[in-house]
Amino acid sequence: MGVNISAPYIYVCTRMRVRKAKLLPKEEYMRMLNMSVSEITRIIGETEYKQEIDELGTAFEGMDLLEVALSWNLAKEYQKIQEIAPGTLKAFTQDYLRRWDIQNILTILRGKVQGEKTGKIKEILIPAGSLDKIMLDRLLAEDSNDRIIELLKGHRMYAVLAREFPAAKESGSFSHMENELYKQFYAEILGDTKAGIKGGASFLSYIQLEIDIKNVKTLFRLRADAQAPEGVREMYISGGTLSPTDFTSLNAIRDSNEFIDQLRASVRNESLHTLLDEMKGRKAMHDIEIRLTRVQLEQMEKMSKRNPFSIHPILVYLEKKKYEVFNLRALARGKESKLPSDKIAEYLVM
Amino acid sequence: MAAEVVAIAATDLASIQASQMGMKAIGAGLAVGLTGVGTGVAEMGIGAAAVGAIAENKDFFGLGLLFTVIPETIVIFGLVVGLLLLF
Repeated sequence: MGVNISAPYIYVCTRMRVRKAKLLPKEEYMRMLNMSVSEITRIIGETEYKQEIDELGTAFEGMDLLEVALSWNLAKEYQKIQEIAPGTLKAFTQDYLRRWDIQNILTILRGKVQGEKTGKIKEILIPAGSLDKIMLDRLLAEDSNDRIIELLKGHRMYAVLAREFPAAKESGSFSHMENELYKQFYAEILGDTKAGIKGGASFLSYIQLEIDIKNVKTLFRLRADAQAPEGVREMYISGGTLSPTDFTSLNAIRDSNEFIDQLRASVRNESLHTLLDEMKGRKAMHDIEIRLTRVQLEQMEKMSKRNPFSIHPILVYLEKKKYEVFNLRALARGKESKLPSDKIAEYLVM
Repeated sequence: MAAEVVAIAATDLASIQASQMGMKAIGAGLAVGLTGVGTGVAEMGIGAAAVGAIAENKDFFGLGLLFTVIPETIVIFGLVVGLLLLF
């Protein structure tokens, strides 16, 4: 299944494996936990982030330098991978990366509503999706959010944006629109994987895993927030192994042990089962989320070994890189606000 | 009459010898050709992976090159068999 023994696939998948091997190991994070922000910047300036740190070193300093360098590096990596991925893998990689479009657009819209400066918004954009730097700059230059939506005419997201934006503008909250955008995103990807393109089956297995983990995370979050049950169905993403009826009935269970038992029965995933057994009695939300993320990464790693020359090695690298940037950012932020090291370590995905 | 028979036998022998030589040449050709294809197929994967690894890390060049040419032994065996057949 999905195994493609052709030279370009082998080439790209090996490059991804080498890149993955170059990511920061756990020990490095442990060392960084005892350092200050400037020391962390210096250390990562000696690794893959050298170019960005050198380029931006004159314009920014401290936390800003680190933030911008990380975002730039992530965007550069993602763009590079889109360039080198062959054939259908390119299409799948682009599909996967389209989530950054949603994030960028929402960042711009939210920033504009809160009256943030253009430069400040630009710092946190990651031009990794189909909207490139030039397009994002054009969007940022607009003053009104209506004009921004207008500019996106012809983009895949436009239909949902045009439909949901007026209500979001009125209520001042973009969360419903965000849910809708992600639902459309997953629906489109699922459509693409089932369109009979070579290698679609392996991409589908990853997307299903991701949707499952997302739904489980949402369920845990909803428990922590004690949300009203009406809005719950709206947060469900279809396409995974968890059915919508299970999702709502699971959310109705109040006892946490019973909830975990039920969840275990409705999800088909062995490593998730072991994790769920471990989680009984745990309360801390961030701990649960990070464990779930780790399960997802482990599962992806296994998939990439099972299908060595498919979309999986690329996806594993993309995800791991994302979490490396996420970790470094959390580390630096935690250090800046003088949190104790063990507290920061709890938030890292290692 | 007898002289005719001898002459025919001599031409037959010559043609048989020639066709034997031809068969050997075909065998040698197949030995080198097929092992060449085998080597090519084997090197494709290794070469692609080696180039991928070298693109990321230049230090891998020597080792990558070494691994890429290891299936070359297959075609060398073919060549040896071919030469043994011919000479």
